[in-house]
Parts: sequence; C-alpha cells; structure tokens
Amino acid sequence: MVFNTLTFAAFFLVVLLLHSLPLGWKTRKVNLLLASYVFYAAWNPPFILLLWISTVVDWYAAQGLVRAERPAARRAWMLLSVIANLGMLLYFKYGTFLLHNFTALAGAFGVHYSPPPFDIVLPVGISFYTFATMSYTLDVYLRRALPARNFLDYALFVTFFPHLVAGPIMRPTELVPQFETPRRATLQQLCFGLGLMTLGLFNKVVLADTFLSNAAERVFDGGKAPGLLDGWLGTLAFSGQIFCDFAGYSTTAIGAALCLGFCMPDNFRFPYAAVGFSDFWRRWHITLSSWLRDYLYIPLGGNRHGPARMNLALMGTMLLGGLWHGANWTFVAWGGLHGTYLIAERRVRGWFAGYQPGPLALFGLGLLTYALVNLTWVFFRAKDFTIAWHVLRGMLGANAGAEPILPTVYIVVVATIIPLLVGVHWFMRERTLESALARVPAPVIGAVWGLMIYLIVISQGAGNAFIYFQF
Amino acid sequence: MPSSTSSSRRLTASDRPGVAQPVPVRDIPAHRWGTVLVCALVLAALLIGAWECHWRKFGAYPGYRDDAMMWARQRLRIDAGEGDATVLVGSSRTFFDVQLPVWKELSGRAPIQLALDGTSPTTPLEDLADDPKFKGRVLVGVAPDLFFTGYEFMGGNFRNYRKHSPSDWVGKWLSMHFVEPYLAFYDPDFALFTVIKRQDWPLRSGMHGGTQVRKLTQLGPDRNNTMWTKLVTDPQYRALARRIWDEDFHDPPPSAAELLEKKKTLYLQIARNAAAVARLRARGVTVVYVREPSTGNYVDYETREFPRQAAWDQLMAHVKVPGIYYDDYPQLRSDRYELPEWSHMTQASAERYTRALYAILQQQFPPDDGSRW
Repeated sequence: MVFNTLTFAAFFLVVLLLHSLPLGWKTRKVNLLLASYVFYAAWNPPFILLLWISTVVDWYAAQGLVRAERPAARRAWMLLSVIANLGMLLYFKYGTFLLHNFTALAGAFGVHYSPPPFDIVLPVGISFYTFATMSYTLDVYLRRALPARNFLDYALFVTFFPHLVAGPIMRPTELVPQFETPRRATLQQLCFGLGLMTLGLFNKVVLADTFLSNAAERVFDGGKAPGLLDGWLGTLAFSGQIFCDFAGYSTTAIGAALCLGFCMPDNFRFPYAAVGFSDFWRRWHITLSSWLRDYLYIPLGGNRHGPARMNLALMGTMLLGGLWHGANWTFVAWGGLHGTYLIAERRVRGWFAGYQPGPLALFGLGLLTYALVNLTWVFFRAKDFTIAWHVLRGMLGANAGAEPILPTVYIVVVATIIPLLVGVHWFMRERTLESALARVPAPVIGAVWGLMIYLIVISQGAGNAFIYFQF
Repeated sequence: MPSSTSSSRRLTASDRPGVAQPVPVRDIPAHRWGTVLVCALVLAALLIGAWECHWRKFGAYPGYRDDAMMWARQRLRIDAGEGDATVLVGSSRTFFDVQLPVWKELSGRAPIQLALDGTSPTTPLEDLADDPKFKGRVLVGVAPDLFFTGYEFMGGNFRNYRKHSPSDWVGKWLSMHFVEPYLAFYDPDFALFTVIKRQDWPLRSGMHGGTQVRKLTQLGPDRNNTMWTKLVTDPQYRALARRIWDEDFHDPPPSAAELLEKKKTLYLQIARNAAAVARLRARGVTVVYVREPSTGNYVDYETREFPRQAAWDQLMAHVKVPGIYYDDYPQLRSDRYELPEWSHMTQASAERYTRALYAILQQQFPPDDGSRW
C-alpha cells in the first residue's frame, strides 16, 4: 500500500479508529500487527511469507544468542541471522544482477553460457526490513541490547507499517520499548502527526511527482544527449525529486506513527545545507548511514587502525551502501563517488585543520557540496553508464550541437523550486521543523497547511510508488 | 512532550555511533493543533470548492477516469467467464463511435470495450489471440495514423493488466464510488501541472511547439465513452480541438529514408495483425476490421499519408477477414454524422452509427457460430 493513495487513506482511518477503541493494550497491539500485515499484503500477498521468515529467524537467533555461552556458538547464531537475511536479499534483489555479471564474465573468457530466464519480482521493502531485523540480532550479539521480552512486541517492531517498506530503518531499542507500555496519541500528537503526513505528501505528490519528476525524466530517459542547461536542470530536478520523494515518505511515516502515539527518529536533516560529505551523510537517510556505520564500517575497523585501513573501510562501506540501493553498477559508482568524496574530504580537512569559514565561505562550501552531490545523482538516476556519461558531458558543456530538451515551463519550474528548496534547507540548517514552527503564528500554519492539502488534491497524483520502494 | 535536546537541535543516530539507539522523542510545537487543523481543513475545503466551481463553470461534469485499472476491469471480464463476448479493440474512434448501450439493446449483451485513445489496437489484439479463454468475436477499429504506425499513447494501460495489486483494486473501487462520480475537476485534463503547462509559455529557441490534446471524452463506469458536450456547444473549444489536430498535419515531406522506415513499420503492423488473426481464426473467433469515418483536414491528412490502396487494402489482403470501410456503405458515410473535430462523433451521431454498423455486421458478417455480435 502506498501512502499517497485512497487505499491508504481508508486503511489509516480504520487503523486509527481501531487503535482508539477502549481495548486492552495487547489487543490493540495485535490489531496493529494484523493491520501491518494487511498493509504489506496489499502489494503482493505471497511475499508476506518472506516477512515472516525474516521475523522468525531473527527472533530465534536472538534467543539462541542469549542462551549460548561459547563465543563460537554466539557467532553461529549471529551468522544464521545474517546469512538468512542477506541470502533472501541476494536471491530476490541481486539474483538477476549476479547472473548477468556471471554470464558476461564467462563470455569474456570465451565461455558462452545462456542461463534459463530468471524472472524474479523484488519484494517491496525487503532491503529495509531485513536490515531492521538484522539490527535486532546484531545488537544482541554485540551486547548492546537485550532481546525483546515477548514475540508480539518484536514482531510488531519488524512489521509496524509506517516504517516497514521504506524506513526510517528502526533499531529494536528505538521501538520495542514503546510497545511495552500502552500508548495512544494525545489530541496534540494526533493533529501534529496529521500535519506531518500532509507535509510529507505535499513533498511527494506536489513537489516530487507533479513538478520535478517530469524534467528529470525528459533529460535522463528522453534518449537525447543534453546540453549544459538541460543537463544541469535535469540533474537538479532529480536532486529535488529524490529528496522530496524520500524525505516525504519518511515525514509521512513519522506522522503516521505519531498519530498512533509512537515516535520515530528523523531520517533527514535538511541535507542540501550540508557542508562537506561527512556532514551530508549525517543529514541524508540518517537511519541507513548510521546502520552502515554501526554494523559495517565500525566492524571493518572504522578509524581505529590508521588512515589506510580507515579509507578501505570507508570505501567498502560506501560501495556496499551504493549496491544496497539497487542491483546495478551505476549505484556502485554512486557509492564509490561518495566514498571518494569522503576520503578526499578527510585529507582536505587535515590540510586546513583549524580553519573556521565565515558565513559567506560556509555558504560557498555548502553550494560546492551540493554541486558535487549532484554529480553523484547522475549515476543514481541514469539507467546505465552511457546515459550517465551523456548527462555528465552535457553538464560540462561537452555535447556539441545538443538540441534543447526542456520546454520553458520545465525550466521555470525547476529554476523556481530548486533554489527555494536549497534556501529552505540552508535556513533550517541548525533548526528542527518543530523549533521553526513554534515561532510561526498559528493562523499562518493553518493557511499553509490548508494550501498544501488543496495543492495535493488538485495535483491529482496517480499514486506513483515512492522511488525508494524499488530498493 | 519535551524536546529530546533543545528546541533547535535534535540528536539522531548519526550523533551516537556504535551504541544502542534510545527511544526517540518528538517534541510538539506549542500551538493548539486541533484548532490549526480545523482552520486548515476549512480553508482547503473552500479552495477545493472554488476549484470545482471553476471547472463546472467551464463545462465539466463528473465522469470516470480511463486509467489502467479501468481497462483491466474490462479485460479481466474474459478471465472471469465472458470468453464468448464481443470485444472491441481500436483507437479513440472505436471508443467514441460505438455506443455500448445501443449495442446491448441490439444484441442483448454489452460488448467489452478495450479501445484506447491514441493507441493502436494491435497489441491488445495479439493479447486476445494468445488467450485461449477468448472464443468470442472481435471488432478491430482502424484509425490509420495510429494503426499503421503502431503508436501506443496509452500503452501503459494494457501492460501488466493481470499484475495489479489488491491495493490498486481497492483504490480504484474507492475512487469509482466516492470520488469520480462527484468531482468534475478530477480529470487528467484539469490536473495542476497540465493546467500550468498549457499556459502561453514562450517557445524555447530550437524547440517545436505542440499542443497537448485537450479533454474530448466523458466516460461511464463500463468504459462507455461519449463526446464531451463542450465540443458540441462551445465553438471556440471545438476550434481549439481542430487546431490541435491540425498541428500534426503539416510536417515537411519525409526523406527517402523516413519513407522507407514508414513503409517497413506499416508492413510490420499488417504482419502482426495477420499473425494474430490467424491464431484467433484457428480458435473459431470471428474477426472484422472497421475503418471509422473521419472528415475535414483529418481525412485529408489520412488520405495523403496512408492512402487506402497502400494501407487499408494491404491490410485486408493479408488478414483475410472481412473489413468495413465507411465510404463503401452509404449508411456509414461521414456526411451522415456529426464529427465536431473531424475525428470523433457526437453522442447522438455515435448512437445512429452504432445501429448502422451493428446491422451491417449482423446481416453481412454474422459470427461463424451463429451467435449475435
């Protein structure tokens, strides 16, 4: 079920009603669990089995970890969880990719291998819930947390519908304790939660789908090599689209959870105001970047074994982070570029240790960061390297004789929205949405909220899936 | 709720490396959110009401959306046991000109309408040919500029029609019961970006203009389509619709290479149809092709670009099933019907045309199994 559909609106209304009934806490949790299964099954009912496998394997792995005394036994339980989860991910998400690469590699050595068709449908959200369940076992293995006291709370942690298919990727310690005591949203939480949902849907339906996606699509999927203006506008449009799409999803999810009385963590912190790439990754998809840091980068050695090992760990983490997004070498290139940026940034920071930029220099560095992030988006958005090179060449003005691609209206739209978006990020750089809203008069908030609802309705979004669903 | 840190900075997992993350705390800004929500809803209701009034004043009235789910609903009737039905495939002319209630009155049974605006019927025909459950009758509408080019403007509507999720079906059901019958503005032609795009934007140097086709249709829940009355009652809108068609009729003559490519495409479409018809005929399915009327600049363009001898006659020679060319039948000739924008009939004309077409089909090309069309 997608947040921006009538189906979800009806579903959410029913869930809110059920959750507000004077029922016992256990009954209400069972309701939420069943509702979450309905939410997931609404896409493709058979895939609910995978969700159950992931849930049950990690529950028993964590139980085994608690009982095991020998390190080898603990390691075995941990590996069971990792292999089961990554195995599902490998088969469903990377099976075709691995097969294609194997065929190509065999072909390079003169072996012509024609595999049978491997037509696998990617279960929606598998990358998200496998990471959530793995974090449960890994936290117990690393002795950072105790296992959940009962299966219901644990199963609800895995399946809770607001975060199930596209995050924020929750850690068990963030959510399981919330299921231990009865929760029901206050009127303030309910209304503010609805406000967050409206903001999230406005980002998705109006900004991402209605205004920005078309320009990006024309440049990246139109089959023409773009010139300087079109190359940049298409990429800038995508930078806005991917942010509004994904941050819109996270904001809607956080709002939906709040309406039910639960708190979920921020997943974005105005990332286009980042100065430098380590700052960017503290602001972009925070729950994924911190997951990769805690369960991959640190175990790979982190910064504890000298610069060379650290660079290796950093690059490995970013390459795998890229691959997590999709089974395509373009995503690996995207991760590799970010890894390179991060390594380079550490080097540059070493050269300029003690330098404190003034406001103008800070803004300039922020813009430079944004420009370089845009170069990485080219690989993220392009379906293959040929398209990526065409767009990059366009952005460098190297596509001689390129025909114009974007009509005037798209240029006006992108040139209006993107500076506004970056401006808002810059203004909010050291603020939270809540702290900013506290200073705005209530009538203004009401008017903007009403306008957002109106624009969502008249945009007539077609219920397009969120971009991150494919990951 | 108190803030987790301060009013302007909230810690996240990025600030806490390598530890168990605590339960997040979300602060609620100090406003009376219930009152703010009510104000927002009132304002939104007023604005949406004004938007609805604007489009009703423009001449719009509620109707159903012709989306992928709408097409799938009809196509899946075959899977659900109506494999012996009459199916209409074609482009917008079949969609406008064949009126399902009239057909039902004559035949006793409404056909399954699978025609799509701006889209060649060849792929849906191939899909029927590959479906062993289908053993009925097919009427294939031919609009030359779509049929012989294989153009599929709404091809997305018929791809993956068996793969819609339960969520898609529930969403369409809700929309058809609670939204589409009540809101006139809920039409792709009145969507925000569509409206913004069709403002008078300066043409970018090096780009060609090209106006998007405007709303022409009014759809019923069974995909029975009628011409939007504004085309009949508003001369300016009718002139606009004609002008938009006319934009496509003045391309420079094709080069020799383009001409060759066009010919190859035309023969490819004919070959695809011939193959599909052979498969259908092998199962005993009755197939008839129909070239619906067109007038004015549209028919001039079609005659110039797809002359009957080079296109329709070639098709007939290859598919080896009956074909009805409107000019060959006095009761179908275009001068007997009103086509406000040269391509599609008004509802009244379409009803008369359906009667005339049905009579020809039933009398001259009755189904092989003795059933009614």
